[in-house]
Amino acid sequence: MTRYLLTRLGQALVIVILVTLITFVILHLLPGGAARAILGKEATLQQIAAFNHEMGYDRPLWEQYAMYLQRLVQGDLGYSFQLNQSVAEAIVQRLPKTMLLSLASTLLAVVVAVPLGVVQAVRRNRWPDYTINALSLLAYATPIFFMGLMMIILFSQVWPVLPPEASQGFTLAEMLADPAGLVLPTVTLAILTVAVYSRYIRSSMVDNLNENYVRTARSKGLSEGRVIVGHTLRNGLFPVITLLGMYLPALFSGALVVERLFNFPGMGLLFWQAALKRDYPILLGVTLLISVATVVGALVADVLYAAVDPRVRLRAGRS
Amino acid sequence: MEATHQPLLRLRDLSTDIALRRGTVHALDQVNLQVDQGETLGIVGESGSGKTMTVLSIMGLLPHGGSVVGGEILFDGRDLRGLEAQELRRVRGVEMGMVFQDPLTSLNPTMRIGAQVAEPLRVHQGIGKAEARDRAVEILRRVGMPRPDKIVDDYPHQLSGGMRQRVVIAMALIRSPRLLIADEPTTALDVTTQRQILELIDDLREEFKMAVILVTHDLGVIAGRADRVAVMYAGRVVETGTTAELFRSPRHRYTEALMRALPESAAADADGQGRLYSIPGLPPDLSRPLTGCRFAPRCRFATDECRTTDVALTPDGAGSGHEFACLHPVTEPVAITASSAAPRAASGAAEPLLTVRDLVKEYDAGGAGVRKVSGRVSAVAGVSFDVAPGETLGIVGESGCGKSTVGRLVAGLEPSTSGQIIVDGTDVATLGRAARHRMHRQVQLMFQDSYAAMNPRMRIDSILTEPLEIQRVGDAAARRARVSELLDQVGLPRRALERYPHEFSGGQLQRIGLARSLALRPRLIVADEPVSALDVSVQAQVLNLMRDLQRGLGLSYVFISHDLSVVDYMADRIGVMYLGKLVEAGPAHQVVRAPRHPYTQALLDAVPSPHPGHASNAGTAIRGELPSAVNPPTGCRFRTRCPLAQDICATEPPLEGGTHQVACHFPLRQEPPES
Amino acid sequence: MTATPHEEEAPVRGMWRQGFEVFCENRLALVGVGIFVLLTAFSFLGPVFYRTDQVHTDLTQVFLTPGTGGHPFGTDGVGYDQFGRLMLGGQTSIVVGLAAGLLATVVGTIWGAIAGFAGGWLDAVMMRVVDAMMSIPALFLFMLMASIVTPTVPMLIVIIGAFAWLGPARLVRGEALTLRTREYVMAMRGMGGTGGRAVRRHIIPNAIGTVIVNATFQVADAILYVAYLSFLGLGVPPPAANWGGMLSDGLSDTFSGHWWLLYPPGIAIILIVLAFNFIGDGLRDVFEVRLRRR
Repeated sequence: MTRYLLTRLGQALVIVILVTLITFVILHLLPGGAARAILGKEATLQQIAAFNHEMGYDRPLWEQYAMYLQRLVQGDLGYSFQLNQSVAEAIVQRLPKTMLLSLASTLLAVVVAVPLGVVQAVRRNRWPDYTINALSLLAYATPIFFMGLMMIILFSQVWPVLPPEASQGFTLAEMLADPAGLVLPTVTLAILTVAVYSRYIRSSMVDNLNENYVRTARSKGLSEGRVIVGHTLRNGLFPVITLLGMYLPALFSGALVVERLFNFPGMGLLFWQAALKRDYPILLGVTLLISVATVVGALVADVLYAAVDPRVRLRAGRS
Repeated sequence: MEATHQPLLRLRDLSTDIALRRGTVHALDQVNLQVDQGETLGIVGESGSGKTMTVLSIMGLLPHGGSVVGGEILFDGRDLRGLEAQELRRVRGVEMGMVFQDPLTSLNPTMRIGAQVAEPLRVHQGIGKAEARDRAVEILRRVGMPRPDKIVDDYPHQLSGGMRQRVVIAMALIRSPRLLIADEPTTALDVTTQRQILELIDDLREEFKMAVILVTHDLGVIAGRADRVAVMYAGRVVETGTTAELFRSPRHRYTEALMRALPESAAADADGQGRLYSIPGLPPDLSRPLTGCRFAPRCRFATDECRTTDVALTPDGAGSGHEFACLHPVTEPVAITASSAAPRAASGAAEPLLTVRDLVKEYDAGGAGVRKVSGRVSAVAGVSFDVAPGETLGIVGESGCGKSTVGRLVAGLEPSTSGQIIVDGTDVATLGRAARHRMHRQVQLMFQDSYAAMNPRMRIDSILTEPLEIQRVGDAAARRARVSELLDQVGLPRRALERYPHEFSGGQLQRIGLARSLALRPRLIVADEPVSALDVSVQAQVLNLMRDLQRGLGLSYVFISHDLSVVDYMADRIGVMYLGKLVEAGPAHQVVRAPRHPYTQALLDAVPSPHPGHASNAGTAIRGELPSAVNPPTGCRFRTRCPLAQDICATEPPLEGGTHQVACHFPLRQEPPES
Repeated sequence: MTATPHEEEAPVRGMWRQGFEVFCENRLALVGVGIFVLLTAFSFLGPVFYRTDQVHTDLTQVFLTPGTGGHPFGTDGVGYDQFGRLMLGGQTSIVVGLAAGLLATVVGTIWGAIAGFAGGWLDAVMMRVVDAMMSIPALFLFMLMASIVTPTVPMLIVIIGAFAWLGPARLVRGEALTLRTREYVMAMRGMGGTGGRAVRRHIIPNAIGTVIVNATFQVADAILYVAYLSFLGLGVPPPAANWGGMLSDGLSDTFSGHWWLLYPPGIAIILIVLAFNFIGDGLRDVFEVRLRRR
C-alpha cells in the first residue's frame, strides 16, 4: 500500500510540474510579451524593463522557469495590477466558495445518481431504464447555461420561490447564511453531473449483475434486494470513487459557467472577469490552482478507492 | 404420498425457453429425470445439449430472458413451480446447494470468505455473526482448507483456483443440503486438483447423505463418480441408466458415437488406421422447430422414420431402469479399451528436424509500474528435446508448467533467455534477419482458440493468403490456387473464402487455423492445445484431420496439451513438464503405461477414466498446490509435493536414460531394455 | 449458445452491408442521421430559398414577435431576422463542430498511436503530457487561449481541436496496447510478419471503429464548447453568429419576454448534440455486433 501511495504521489507530482510548465509557456506566449501583458498598455518602457529585471525575465529561460517555480512554492502567484491585489489573495477569497459549490453539487449528484443508476441496471431494457436514459441524455445535450436559465424561469419567475442570483456574501459564512441563493447554482451544476454519473453507475452495475458471483449469491436463496444491496452494490459503486476524481475537470468547467450565469462570487467568476479584461496574472494563477486541485482530487479518489477495494488494496500491498 | 419410492427430485416434462434478441431458443424440451436420496446422477452432454440449463432451471438461476415454460420440478413431492417466492428461496437456499464451473469468478471479490460461506445461515436461520464465523471455520476445515481460521478473513483473490472451489463447496454444504448440484465443478481446474475436488464431493455425499447431480462434458468424470447417468442431446434426455449398464452397453446411437469418439477408443476401432470415430455435422439450431429424433441428421443409422417420428424414452425391457429414445438402438456392447494406440513404428535414425537444448525463458515478475522487479518468473528452466521428421512429440503438463511457453519459443514468437533451438541443423539464434524471416516457413503455430487468432475483420481468403504474402510466395494467381488447395485439404467448401471468422463453428475454425498453418508448407507445426475448446465429437474430427495430413505431408508436430488421453492418441513420444522442467520423456506408450517419474504417475492416476469401477490408485495422489514459479523449489522442483522426496532431492536430478528418460533420484521403475 | 450450423444457407454479405444493416436496426441512430441531415440542409441550403440580410442591422425592426412583418421567427435586438440567423448560426456551429471534432480525432489518434506503439519512456512522457493537459479543466484552457488570440471561426476550430484531442489520444493508446497483444497479431508474427504489417493490416483496421465512434462524440462535445465559449463572451464576434452565441444573447432578453430569441437556438443545439450521440451509439453497434459470433 505504501509503495502504491508513493508511486501514485510521484505521478501526481510529475503532472503538477508539467502543468506549471504549460502555464509558464503560455505566460511567454502572451501578446506583446509577459511584461506588457501583465502591466497593461499604459506601462512605459522603463517600467517594463524594470519589471522584466525584477521578475528575472531577462535571464535564460530555464533560470526563469526555476525562479517561477520558486515563487510558486512560496505561494507567490503574481500580482494583478487591475485588481490591485495579489493573485493569491484574490483566489483565497473565492476558493472556498467554489469548493462549496462543487462539493454540494457533487454530493447532491451522487445522492440522486446512485439510486437512478441502480434502478436502471436492475430494470435494464425496460421502461424505467429507457426513461432515465432519455432524460440523462437530454441533460447531457443541453448547454448547462440553458439548463440554468430554465431553472431560473421555472423557480424564480413562473413559481417564484428561489432567487435568480447567487448569494453575494463576501465570506463563506455570509454565503451560507443565505442558503436559498445557493440552491439554483448547486442544482444546475448537479444535473449535468447526475447525467454522467448515472450512466456510469448503470453500466458498472450491469457488469456486476452479469457476474458469476451474483449467480452464486442467488443460489443461496437470497432475495433480489439482498443480492443487490449485499453483493452487487458494493462492487458496482467502488469504481465510482475513481470517477469522482476523473470527473473533476468537467465539474470545474461546469462551475465556471454556472458561476457566470448566477453571478456566483467564486473562482470561476473571477476567472471569467479576468478573461474579459485580459488580466493574465489572475488567469494563469486560477488555471494553475484549479489544475492542482484536479490533480489532488484525482489522487485522493484513487487512494480512497485503493483503500476500500480489497482487490486493489491487497494487490498493491503485496508487491 | 407413496411411502415406497419417492425420488428426492423428479423432473417431469420440463421445458425451458430463452428469449434472445432474434427469436427464442427452446433450450429444454420435455426433460424427464429423477434423483434419489443419497445417489449421484451424472448428466453428460456436449455444449448446447441443455445439461446446464436443466440444473439452472431447478435452481431458478436461468440467465436473462430464460424461463421454465412447461412441466414440473418435484422436489420431495412438491412442485417448485407452484411455490411462492419466499418459500422457494428457502428451499433452494437451504435444501439445495450448487457448485459452479468457474471458481475464479463465482465468489464475490470484495466480501470476506467467512461472510460469503456463512451467508445462507445468517439469512435463512438468522444466526449471529460470531456463531456464523465459527460455523464457517468448521465447514472450511471439513472441505480440507488449510488454516481455515485464517482463511475466513481472507478475500477470494488471495486463494488458488482449487481452494476457491473448496470455498464454493463449503458454501453449498454449510446449509446441510439434501441435494448438491455440481455444474462442471472441475472443468476449470487441473487434473490433479480435479481429482481432489471430485473425491471431496464423493466423501461429503456419504457423510451428509446427500443426493448429487454432477453435470459434465467429460465421460471419464461421470464413469468414476456417478451411480446413474443421463445423456442429453439438443435439449432432451436421449438415454438414461445405471452407470455400469450404460457404459457397458449404450443403446442410443448418440451415446455410442460419443464413446467411440473418445481418444481412448482409438485402438478398438476396426479400420486399423487408429482413426477416431467422429460425428459429422453440428447439433441442431434450437431456435427452429424440430421434428423427429434430433440426432437423426448426424446419425449413420437414421431412417426416414427417425426424421419424422418423435421418439420417447422407452425402457429396454430388462427392468434395470435403462431407458433410451432411439428407433435403431445399438445391440452389441461398445468397448472402450484401456490400452489405446498401439506402439507406433519408431522413426528411423534420421537427423532430428528440431533440436532444443537447455532452453530457458524467464520473465520479470509484476512488470507493471516503474521497474518494481521483485523477482524473475522461471517459466522454462533448461528444457532439451528432439523431434524427428514425421514424428509427433506430445508435451503434457498442468497449467503453469511452461508447455505453452516452449511452444511459443520454438515457433519464434518470443526470444529465449538462453539455450539453443536448432531447426534442420541450423541454430536459429545464429541466423541473420532475412534467414530468420525465412525460418518461419519451416515452423508454424496452431492455436487453441482459432477465433482469437484470426483478425475478425479479415475474410477467410485474406486470412489464408496472409502467410503467403508475408513470405512473398508466388504471385496472386498462385496464391489463390494454393488457398483453394488448402481448403480442400482441411475439408471445407470454397464458399468459406468469402466469409468472416465469426460465421464459423469452433471445429471449422480449427480447420481453417490448420489450413493457415499449412499454407507455407512447413515441416513442423507447433499445436498449442488445438482441441481443448472443442466437444468430443468435433475434437475427433480435428484429430483425425491432423493425423491424415501428417501422413500425407510428412509433417512433424509438437503437440501441446493438458489432456493425457489426447496426447497419448496423437504422439509418438511424450514429454512431461512440471514447473518449467521436463521431468520425463520417452515413447508414448511407455510413458503412459510404465511411467518412471512420480509426477507422471500422479498425473495418470488423476485422469478420470471412462471405465466405471476402474479404481484409481489412492497412494499416488499428490497433495498441495503448485509452487510459485517466481521462487521455484531448488533441486527437483516436484520435491515439495512428492511422496518419495528425500534430502538428496534438494540437488537437481538430470534427465537421464536412453529412449525413456526421467529426471528423478528415485525413478518408479527401470528403463526396459532396448529391444 | 453454440454457433449455428446453417451458415451454408446464410447469404454471403460483405462487411459494409452487414454493418449497414446493424446500423439500420438502431432506430435512434436513424433518427440521429435524420436530424443531422435536416439541420444541415436547413443551415446550408435554407439561405438559398430564404434570403435575409444578416450583415446590416435594422434598428427599426427590433424584437418583432414571430409572424409579424414577414419574419416567421421574429427579429432580434438589432433587427436581424431570427429565422435566417438560425441558418447562419447553424453553419458556424456545424462547421466548427465537425472540423474541431475531426482535428481532435486526427491529432489524438496520431499521438495515442505513437505512444502506444513506441511504449517505454516515450510512451510515459507522451502520456504524462496528456495527463497534465487533461487536469486543466477544458473551459479554463479554452478561455485562456481565447483571451490571447482573437476568436475567429478557424481560430475556434484550432483552439477546441488543440485541446479536445486528449480524450482520443488516451483511447487510441489503450486500443493500441490491447490490440498489440491479440493472438492474431501473434499469429502473424509467427509467419514472420513485421511490426509495420501488424499496424497496417491488423491494428488500424480494428482500432478504426473505436476512433470513428469517438469522433462523433467529439463533434457533439465541440458544438457544446462553441456554445460555452460564446456564453462566456469569447465566441465569434458579430455579425457572424452561431447557435451558442444566439442562445447566450437570448439569455439577456428572457426577462423581457422575447422567448423566440431563446428557445429556437437552444433547441437546435440540443437536437444536433443528441443527433451525434445517437449516430455514435449506432456506429458502436456496427463495430461491435458484427464481431459477435452468431
